[in-house]
Amino acid sequence: MRHIFKFPDIGEGLDEGTILEWYVKKGQSVEAGESLVKMETDKVVTDIPSPRDGVIAARYGSEGETINVGDPLVEIEMEGVEGEAAQEESKKIDEGEASKMETVEEEAAGVVGTLESAGNNAFLPASDEGVSVAETNEKPSQKKAIATPVARALAKELNVDINEVKGTGPGARVMKEDIQKYADSGSTNASNQGRRMLDEGPRVRIEPMSQMRKTIAKNMLRSKHNAAHMSVFDEVEASELIAIRSRFKDKFKADDIKLSYLPFIIKATAKALKKHPVLNSEMDMENGKMIYKNYVNIGIAVDTDDGLLVPVIQDADRLSIRELAVKINEIAEKARKREISMEDMKDGTFTITSFGSIGGKFAVPVINYPQAGILGIGRMAKQPVVKNDAVVPGNMLPLSMSVDHRIVDGGEVTRFLNQIMEYLGDPINLIMD
Amino acid sequence: MKYDLIIIGSGPAGYVAAIRAGQVGLKTAIIEKDAIGGMCLNWGCIPTKALIESAKFYNRLNDAAEFGIEGIDLKKLDFNWPKAVERAYKVVNKLTNGVEFLLKKNGVETIMGEAEIVGEHEISVNNRTIEAENIIIATGSLPERIPGEGSNLDIRALYKMKKLPESIAVYGHGPVSVELAQLFNLLGVKTYLITEQEKTLIPQADQFLNDFILKKLKSQGIKIQKNLPSKDVPVLNASLRKAILPAIKPEIDLTDDGFVQTNLNLQTSVSNIYAIGDVNGRSYLAHVGSAQGVFAVNHIKGIEKRMDIRSYPLNIYTVPEMAQIGFTEQELQEENVEYKVNEMPLSINGKAMTEGDTEGVVRILSEKKLGEVMGVQIIGPNATDMIAEAAAFIEMEATIYDVARTVHAHPTVSEVFMETGMDALDKAIHK
Repeated sequence: MRHIFKFPDIGEGLDEGTILEWYVKKGQSVEAGESLVKMETDKVVTDIPSPRDGVIAARYGSEGETINVGDPLVEIEMEGVEGEAAQEESKKIDEGEASKMETVEEEAAGVVGTLESAGNNAFLPASDEGVSVAETNEKPSQKKAIATPVARALAKELNVDINEVKGTGPGARVMKEDIQKYADSGSTNASNQGRRMLDEGPRVRIEPMSQMRKTIAKNMLRSKHNAAHMSVFDEVEASELIAIRSRFKDKFKADDIKLSYLPFIIKATAKALKKHPVLNSEMDMENGKMIYKNYVNIGIAVDTDDGLLVPVIQDADRLSIRELAVKINEIAEKARKREISMEDMKDGTFTITSFGSIGGKFAVPVINYPQAGILGIGRMAKQPVVKNDAVVPGNMLPLSMSVDHRIVDGGEVTRFLNQIMEYLGDPINLIMD
Repeated sequence: MKYDLIIIGSGPAGYVAAIRAGQVGLKTAIIEKDAIGGMCLNWGCIPTKALIESAKFYNRLNDAAEFGIEGIDLKKLDFNWPKAVERAYKVVNKLTNGVEFLLKKNGVETIMGEAEIVGEHEISVNNRTIEAENIIIATGSLPERIPGEGSNLDIRALYKMKKLPESIAVYGHGPVSVELAQLFNLLGVKTYLITEQEKTLIPQADQFLNDFILKKLKSQGIKIQKNLPSKDVPVLNASLRKAILPAIKPEIDLTDDGFVQTNLNLQTSVSNIYAIGDVNGRSYLAHVGSAQGVFAVNHIKGIEKRMDIRSYPLNIYTVPEMAQIGFTEQELQEENVEYKVNEMPLSINGKAMTEGDTEGVVRILSEKKLGEVMGVQIIGPNATDMIAEAAAFIEMEATIYDVARTVHAHPTVSEVFMETGMDALDKAIHK
């Protein structure tokens, strides 16, 4: 019994991928879950695991070749699977294919072997903003919207996420009309409203959006639609921080670790989150629940050539400044090599975006929905400050924070930001507190 | 003594509303001046279908020898009309008793008498006045008198006939006249169908069905003409209907055609008075009246805010039967929907062959892009039952993909429906 394994759509609407490296040869035995090939897609570089035990009977495509989703990757000869068992196996395959006609959730589940544990949203964290990573892990893609077949087909056609649409049919079933209204209201096409259609010409260049850009756009909109954004700004005098950093900079360098201000900011934020857990929570409005997380996973927004990525530092509250510095170095290296995986981007509970390194001062960052807040770090600058009634030079670090006002009130936000400023203004508190 | 709701008329709209009202805890009375069950149960839907079955059976005996049944002397065959009526009334009695039982069981009080609406909350019946928070008018409709014609048999006269007439003229167009004309024709009565619009005998039906039935009636020897034949031919009035209005003191708006004007919630111009069923002129179909009845009560109770009767079947009990649901092809053209048509004949179907009746077709109209099933028409011996499947597909906004992959049992006539869905995907197996 031979199983033809086709290149699965490991993310929503993925069209193609490039073969970077084959791990298996013809005639080689593989086990289910074992990596077959390293593929580069619009979003990630990832290993594709084998869905079955068996022997590789055929391999399609050479390294560097781009193949389409649905093209065969390998044929796996499954030993001893004959007769009824073979029929069962072929049914599994058929079901896998059949489910493609339906929803994305089922697609991810049926075909991808070990990847399925990452769930439907697994592809999304790559482009970060607004992805319910935690939610994905807790309830992996079990939730299937109740919708009519035509509504599903139309949602696909109009690129509407059917789970976002409120159904008005019997039993809150999503009807065709609901999808049409949702699309018309601009939830997906907001950017198209009132926009003049331009034709390509000498003055206009038109390019298809990359998958990553689409995902970013979708997630940003999702955040802006669902969260009640509120922002606060402040500045902290960071001369002490500068002093400590310069004391340890060279010492770290000897171990080949680059020490920036970011580990201090992450540490300060993580500690402040432990004291103000509401900023480390999310809201499940539908079920009337608040979800508080006892772990602190901080996402770091990274500007790459391809677009925004948000790798996550797990359990940041338990790491030392040195460990954090190492983590940041790793992330930077991975980003440079385009090796940030879906695994690296999952389960963030709060996000830090550091636009100061590029030169920005203040911004109104967009929350990484459904997280409760995001902290933006601006460029540190020398400014006159008043100390002991005298004007002296100070080093001011600008902080911009957006929160979901549904979750947290202004007073608590201010207290939280004050706490971070206390840590950064006098970093000794980071170890004494 | 004050009621939450009084319903006038116990036809399929009124009695269903009453039972529903009882279920949701409204103190309810229903007033009927003639027979519980109204036109549908007592003279319309049910007894006519029973008579049509007799006529079909009678005709079928002609095929007995072919089916291997011997000993039937076709020359001696005769149709005993009063006996067929008696059988029809056994069915009717069973059903009306059932309705009376259900009304009682759900705590609805039945008052026999003629009602008059004397105030917005007051009804006079049998010389007493009763009060109600809400009133539902469900008094139905009757054919309009034929202008200048004396005899004017109405459908109720059918059941009093001692024997079949030599000839009969059925007056008017619409499903009832077509069904009755065919019934008499099948029983060997020389039949005329008097109408000005032979091309659209059933105005709401797809032209495909109208073309089919016109040809069928003509081939069966029914004379379709504009004028009444000679004075000797009795005339059965089955023309389109006019509202039966109870006496109403408060001013209630009527439509230009004399039906009770209602808004989308089926409220009249007096908001605590509703009108459901034929009397509001929205439809003359029993099942639509019933659905309106359930909605009106839900609206009174605040359970349902807007009427959402998306689509309902139109059944015509001809031989063969015809049924449709959803959009007609003409409506799709008017709405500029891009559609495609797929048809499969019953003549390819094994079960239809074993039954010796392969006249018919299943026709699916689907939207081109997403494949949504937009409309279905079925002609065939059991079309009026087969349409239920199509109704579910349309209610659920299903596509031809769903039709094609729904496994249908073999052998059944319904397989043709699945096959038509496959044909829409260019994957018909038996084509």
